[in-house]
Amino acid sequence: MTDMTWLYDWPQYIPDLLPGLWKAMTLTAISCFFGYLIGMVLALLVETPRAWVRYVALSIVEIGRGVPILVLLFVFYQGLPQAGVLLDPYPAAVLALILSAAGYSSEMIRAGLNSVPRGQSEAANSLSLSVMDNYRFVLIPQAARISIPPLVNLTIIMFQATSLATVITVPEIMQFAGIMGSATFEYMSIYIAAAVIYLCITIPGGVLSSYLEQRMGAPKKRSTRQVLLAQFRKPLGATNNKSHSASGRM
Amino acid sequence: MLEILSYIAMGASWTVAITLGSAAVGMALGAPLLVLSTSKFAAVRGIYSAIVHVVRGVPTLVWLFIAYFGVGQLGLTLSPVMASMLALSIIATAYMAEIYRGGLQAIPSGQWEAAGALNLDRFSTLRFVISPQVFRAASPSVATQIIGLLKDSALVSTVGVADLVFRAGVMTQYHADGLYMFGFAGLIYLLLSLPIAIFSRKIHTRIKRKYVIA
Amino acid sequence: MSNSQLSLQDIARKEEDSSMDTSFVSISGLSKSFGEHKAVNDVSMSVAKGEVVSIIGPSGAGKSSFIRCLNLLEVPEQGTLRIGTEKIRFDEGVPGRVAVRSLRQKTGMVFQSFNLFPHFTALKNVALPQMRVHKRSKQEAESRAMEELRRVGLESKANAYPSQCSGGQQQRIAIARALAMDPQLMLFDEPTSGLDPEIGAEILQVMRQLADDDMTMLVVTHEMEFARHVSNQVVVMVDGSIIEKGSPEHIMTAPSHERTQKFLSAVLGR
Repeated sequence: MTDMTWLYDWPQYIPDLLPGLWKAMTLTAISCFFGYLIGMVLALLVETPRAWVRYVALSIVEIGRGVPILVLLFVFYQGLPQAGVLLDPYPAAVLALILSAAGYSSEMIRAGLNSVPRGQSEAANSLSLSVMDNYRFVLIPQAARISIPPLVNLTIIMFQATSLATVITVPEIMQFAGIMGSATFEYMSIYIAAAVIYLCITIPGGVLSSYLEQRMGAPKKRSTRQVLLAQFRKPLGATNNKSHSASGRM
Repeated sequence: MLEILSYIAMGASWTVAITLGSAAVGMALGAPLLVLSTSKFAAVRGIYSAIVHVVRGVPTLVWLFIAYFGVGQLGLTLSPVMASMLALSIIATAYMAEIYRGGLQAIPSGQWEAAGALNLDRFSTLRFVISPQVFRAASPSVATQIIGLLKDSALVSTVGVADLVFRAGVMTQYHADGLYMFGFAGLIYLLLSLPIAIFSRKIHTRIKRKYVIA
Repeated sequence: MSNSQLSLQDIARKEEDSSMDTSFVSISGLSKSFGEHKAVNDVSMSVAKGEVVSIIGPSGAGKSSFIRCLNLLEVPEQGTLRIGTEKIRFDEGVPGRVAVRSLRQKTGMVFQSFNLFPHFTALKNVALPQMRVHKRSKQEAESRAMEELRRVGLESKANAYPSQCSGGQQQRIAIARALAMDPQLMLFDEPTSGLDPEIGAEILQVMRQLADDDMTMLVVTHEMEFARHVSNQVVVMVDGSIIEKGSPEHIMTAPSHERTQKFLSAVLGR
């Protein structure tokens, strides 16, 4: 016989988890700020003609992207002491998350830069703009259109990743949840409360991300529903109102 | 040292099993979930939207703890492996449904029109015309998602499954040298993602050679 | 009052009406709107068996929307459509699946953007619909497919994928695909509009041959030469309505309606 009180019980645990939320948000902010900066540098370094620089940059990106964040956390917290560097939980978490953010963001920034047609740089060169000016006035503004929506998404993901910092005892949300849980055993209610706190940030974040995608990116296509409904409601193949207006025929 | 490293490496079997298991469930159940998003009832579509947003909006670790500690508190004790599979499978399903959705949108409406004009029935259209194209359009994303599941599988160590990370942790407790232990585990994760990336690239070039995705 | 399946009444009406009108295809009072915009406005016309009809007019005139109504890719709100003995009244609601399928059995459509299935070879593109719809065996379907590909001059490309074929070749494969389904009426929605003039000529040649083989054809086109020399009837559409129709000689050389004159001088007088 299961006790269903957790369904309505969970709100009481939220106030006690909020200090963790603040920690999680600062952790996200710092990691993303430095991580994206480094990611930008890596995006450029990965394209240099100098082989050894390229390989080093590529390795950093692949490690940041390919190694689970959990492992990175342990490496910085439990691994570095072996090399003589003793870190507190919070700094270790920051470093691990920076590495991860750098790896992922460098790919997104690189995609953005590559999406700018070569002709743009050619025009800049013909006009004798310096390399710095080329990046500053021509490439980056145009690349930003493509890169910013995924970066916003990445930030939301990094916020969720801060939950992992609990394994190295950083006092964020899950840490508080774990402590309360082992005291009261009300795990279900407590973790649901934690989930709700995360949702309060990620859902508005997702809305922001969609909004940015619409304003900056490609025009929104038909929703899945429109696509499939057009096929299932009407005779197979028949289309809805404006769906073929893009081809401009009438 | 070799025994230590091989002890850690054996954890890969759990890592791979859990990754492939949740990926398989996700790929299979993603399609039925997607169908929800096409319902004529706004409520059903809302359910799809809610499921996807909530599952993706809550960190994987939280879902895992809910499945293991939360469900355990309710009296139904799931083993660490079962709880992990439950949590990761649900997450995988939500992600795969969204990937399929993206693939579906990429198909030009002309394909549906041609099938209709040729009088192909609904089933044939979905099976022969649409699904192969969705598969081809979505494959790269599916491969990326599987690699993502591989990395997420590392979390199962927190509830006691003896995977790569767990074993690296155990070895660090006994022998220190955490840098080598976890570094080695990290390396294995990188190596495990290689076959998936290579396989995916092979499929992608095969597809590209045959036809250009519209 | 909306009834979405063919009822006994409809079947009775079919038998009753077919005796009154001897043309093969008869369209009456067809109207189709997209939201506020009335794309097809009370259009009526008829087509005799073996006749080739060209539909011309300025862009946005509703020509494409009209022809797409004939195989129910667009569902008109008003009017009636009869192909052979199959008649559908649109005032009574969206036609049921049975009615739609039976109508589509008689028509074949060629699209401006070809719409070949990119993951199938040319042969499979032409064979698959036969197997799934007409339930022909693989052997039958493939040999018929080869026949049709031969007819459009592309048997050498049978095992090629659409991406490996030029635009003109793709369109010919699309024509073969439609023909393999044994349609009684072929609908062409601007078949050469996406193509270079030289390539377009390939397609028009195939269409000419089809006309010589007595296929009943409705062609929305900008190709005035084709309209003049190959069609038996030319229909001029402007702003969703037919403003003039008649023989090619009449329309192209001495049109009555001034809008037609305007259109033709713009198109031909370049």
